[in-house]
Amino acid sequence: MDWILDFYNYRVVAQYLPEFARGLGSTAWISLVALLIALIIGTLVAIMRMSHNPILWRIAAGYVQTIRSTPLLIQIYLIYFTLPALPLLDRRLDELEGGIIALGLNAGAFMSEIIRAGIESISRGQNEAAQAVGMTYLQRMRYVVLPQAFARVAPPLLGQTAVLIKDSSLVSFIGVFELFGAGLVILNERLMPNEGFLTVAACYLVIYTIMLQVTVFAQRRLGGTANA
Amino acid sequence: MYDVIKSTMPFLLEGLWVTFQISMITIFCGSLLGAIIGMLRTLDSRLVTYPLGLYIHTLRGTPFLIHLYFVYFMLPSTGVSWLQLEAYAAAVVALSLYTSTYVAEIIRGAIEAVPPGQNEAARATGMTRLEAMWYVVLPQAVKMMIPPMGGIYVMIIKGTSIVSVIGIAELVRAGEHATQRHPRELMLIYGMTALLYFVYCYPVLRLARWAETKFGSVRLPS
Repeated sequence: MDWILDFYNYRVVAQYLPEFARGLGSTAWISLVALLIALIIGTLVAIMRMSHNPILWRIAAGYVQTIRSTPLLIQIYLIYFTLPALPLLDRRLDELEGGIIALGLNAGAFMSEIIRAGIESISRGQNEAAQAVGMTYLQRMRYVVLPQAFARVAPPLLGQTAVLIKDSSLVSFIGVFELFGAGLVILNERLMPNEGFLTVAACYLVIYTIMLQVTVFAQRRLGGTANA
Repeated sequence: MYDVIKSTMPFLLEGLWVTFQISMITIFCGSLLGAIIGMLRTLDSRLVTYPLGLYIHTLRGTPFLIHLYFVYFMLPSTGVSWLQLEAYAAAVVALSLYTSTYVAEIIRGAIEAVPPGQNEAARATGMTRLEAMWYVVLPQAVKMMIPPMGGIYVMIIKGTSIVSVIGIAELVRAGEHATQRHPRELMLIYGMTALLYFVYCYPVLRLARWAETKFGSVRLPS
């Protein structure tokens, strides 16, 4: 069994298990909050993008294109290092908040494109029928269009969420402790890259597999004949 | 402000040049590897498609940062001499592997989007499988690959920002150096860095969109 210990010393990994658990929890928390931000921004931007008001849709389009054409790392740096003290909070963002907001803004742009495709795929008649029964614009969106749109694009949104979870490893660059950071701890304290990064990779793979299964499930439940 | 721009721009442009080089090498190597994997994936044999599917899902299921650390820190610890890559080579290898998984799926999607009758007709005229693939199926598939490949290329360009972590003097690294000399101008310098990425990536995305309206696109298997 020596050769295994040489290559991957699981006893060391066992010692650091609390770190990995903490990192996993942190990654889950970061991804969850960023996902909520991304869904809100994504929906707003998607609606703005489809507006007839040229100012609104140009702002939305510019936002999406800027985010898509620049690396996430630079977005994280810009938000964390250069955002001045916020007037309402009266303090600067700490690294966790900065990282989460950058991730949310990034994923929001990608999700807005998915959500827009979803809204556009809902047949016009739905909107017109809702209008005919006297619903306001907000009511039509809230009760008729968005629920159908989200049901239809749930699988690609879940795929984007899987990307978001992977991307969350980048916030370790600004010193946030998360799953990848747990691997760095073993590298720095023990100079054992294998133990650190193979374990982290295994954790990410487990998350990815779960997300894949959830996506398949969503596809089957939501993509049935009623939605075809 | 003008002084800062004037003094840092040359360094940032040097960084952009390195980013450009790495992304060009990577799109070439990654596409080559991805094309081979993608074509092999269309075969019927499970012996071939299963391991390749595992390869694609393993790389897609883990962050690129892990691949980079794997190639740069873990491969050398195996003790095999040709796996001791220096930073630049490690960055290119890691990025190419990452790229290949996406390219493979695009190629497979495009090949499967060509109606099977094309292949059957080519085979019926006596072409070998390879000839049918090369002369009949691939030329039709290639057009559909252009739009998603544009997206992949932008993904690589953005991915090169991450290799700054192993000390390669690309654009982000150049920006970090510049901020050390002008610590008060963080926003300006990172803004300039972002702008340079935008200038590089945006035309590619536009081109991809133009190609999509002209040639249509592949529906990727999720």
